Amino acid sequence: MGLTARVARAALAAWLLLPLVPLVLWAAADRWTAPAVLPQAWGTAGLRDAVDAGAGPASLRSTVLGLVVAVLATPLGAMAGRALATYRVPVGGAVLAALLSPLVLPPFAVALGLDVLLLRLRVPEPVGVFLLLTVAALPYTTVLMRAAYAAHDTGFEEEARTLGATARQAVFHVQLPLLAPALAGAAFLAFLVGWSDYVVTLLVGGGQLVTLPLLVASAASTVGNEAQVAVLSLSSVLPPLVLLVAVGLVGQRGRA
Amino acid sequence: MAAARRPIAAGAALLALAGCAAPASEAPGAADRPWDEVLAAAEGQTVDLWMYGGDEAGNAYVDDVLAPAAAELGVTLRRVPVADTGDALDRVLAERQAGTTEGDVDLVWVNGENYAAGRQAGAWLCDWALDLPNRQYTDPGDPLLQNDFGVPVEGCESPWHKAQFTLVYDSARVPEPPTTLAGVLDWAQANPGRFTYPAPPDFTGSVFVRQVLTTATGGAGEVPLEYSQEAYDQYAPELFDRLAELAPALWREGSTHPQSQQELDRLFADGEVDMTMTYGPATLIDLVADGTFPDTTRVLTLEEGTFGNASFLAIPSTSGDSAGAQVVADLALSPAQQVAKADPGTWGQFTVLDLDRLDEADRAAFEQLPPSPVVPPYEELSRNAQPELSAEWVAPLDEGWRRSVLAS
Repeated sequence: MGLTARVARAALAAWLLLPLVPLVLWAAADRWTAPAVLPQAWGTAGLRDAVDAGAGPASLRSTVLGLVVAVLATPLGAMAGRALATYRVPVGGAVLAALLSPLVLPPFAVALGLDVLLLRLRVPEPVGVFLLLTVAALPYTTVLMRAAYAAHDTGFEEEARTLGATARQAVFHVQLPLLAPALAGAAFLAFLVGWSDYVVTLLVGGGQLVTLPLLVASAASTVGNEAQVAVLSLSSVLPPLVLLVAVGLVGQRGRA
Repeated sequence: MAAARRPIAAGAALLALAGCAAPASEAPGAADRPWDEVLAAAEGQTVDLWMYGGDEAGNAYVDDVLAPAAAELGVTLRRVPVADTGDALDRVLAERQAGTTEGDVDLVWVNGENYAAGRQAGAWLCDWALDLPNRQYTDPGDPLLQNDFGVPVEGCESPWHKAQFTLVYDSARVPEPPTTLAGVLDWAQANPGRFTYPAPPDFTGSVFVRQVLTTATGGAGEVPLEYSQEAYDQYAPELFDRLAELAPALWREGSTHPQSQQELDRLFADGEVDMTMTYGPATLIDLVADGTFPDTTRVLTLEEGTFGNASFLAIPSTSGDSAGAQVVADLALSPAQQVAKADPGTWGQFTVLDLDRLDEADRAAFEQLPPSPVVPPYEELSRNAQPELSAEWVAPLDEGWRRSVLAS
């Protein structure tokens, strides 16, 4: 690795990690007022407040929500991506545009509009949240998987078929392992959509799913809760970071 | 509190009114039945109370004091924290548009614009709040409980606590504080850079502008509470002239304003300005106790008085557990709960009860509440309290401020 690359890597890491430094300091600060450079009193008040606010169960709900969205949106995105990359989809551009449209529409408008429809259809609140967030995650999984399938060499599967593998075996033992890094990346992005959502979870979920973003938003809407907000924010940032490292490892193994 | 999404809530209310499938906008009334039957129906219900979640003391009071007391009555109270009360209204309006009768919002801590927008769309259940047994301890003639920012309260929401618009200063940095709002403006001009206010349409900034309106135009009672274009044309120019004159002396020469009370509080906490302001003085106790604000933080009582308001608990017309919600609202109004909530160590919210109507023991409990070193008692704070201008004043004044003061 050249020196330039190394410097660039260090700069990138610093750029990602530096914003976390004040967050970590605030999380452990019982008292920190200007103009002090460091907190005047250290302690666990922020942690205690976060636990009192229900951070434990909220993290669990956020995790479940993220996982459900990942489990639904990843295979759907893979199928759409594969179709768009390998087959001649009639008006493929329009199909892609439709799949990407959730990125363009403000989530608040979508949530407000579809909330009424879901209520009329008597869709249970959690199911409505899963559905809407899966649609919101589809642009990410589709684009990622479309690129992966476009770069994917189908020769390996054909080879397997000529060697006597069934179509099913060719997909599960050849195609999917080759695409594992891309699938992991897509699942990670879909997880983030569920993990970080506020407006759909609250409005469509009817307050039944009190997740971490709901706690962060309400605690952060005033002054004086900084330590609690910092603890809640770290609880929101760290699991995805750990996941990112895990996904990175899958990617390395995929290349090896 | 935070006013970020009010216009959308109001817009949604209009949409709900305009939409072809929208239900009638008349408020549905609660079933007329004896209290015993309400209690019996409430048994086993789960009441979802949607409330602004940024106030830790308030969250703790609901979770640790109100909810256990509700459990004794057989009602499970579940708090849903929201960043903005408008979120709760948005959910209720969607439920109402869909014709839901088993909605997820059973009780909302509300007042002002959100209440008005909900009333317009028939989002609140009516004909129940005046029948609560503990309502007998309030004064029926109390103006704060009759109108909520100019919208009649009637039986559509139940009073929870009173609040007073309050200026706050650091006594270490302002040893001789002014005693009138006109004095505050003069002080700000004599001490450039040490004062500012949140930019309307922020809720608090907007109240401050209305408070200056009464000062600049000759005191309370001069500006009619009901909005009219003539009254606006008569009084608003004086207000904007005064604020424009003040602007160069504000923090950063008035070229920028804090966008919210939260940002102003941050400036005050960091010592960048010497005053802040709030419509919820109860929160000051906690802010000083946890060291966010200095120990020398004091409330600035103004000779001419300030706006006062009350906040309420409202039951959405879509609630599936409205009997349980009525039981919780009644419980919240009980002398025992009101005194617990008024304790500065718990939440420090001013009671809506009329102490003269309480029995000896309950009145004594209120009188024995420990005083707060930061927030004076309600009698002192609400001396010469002024009624809020009607909600129709808010938007034109905010817009006029933007064009006349911010742009100049």
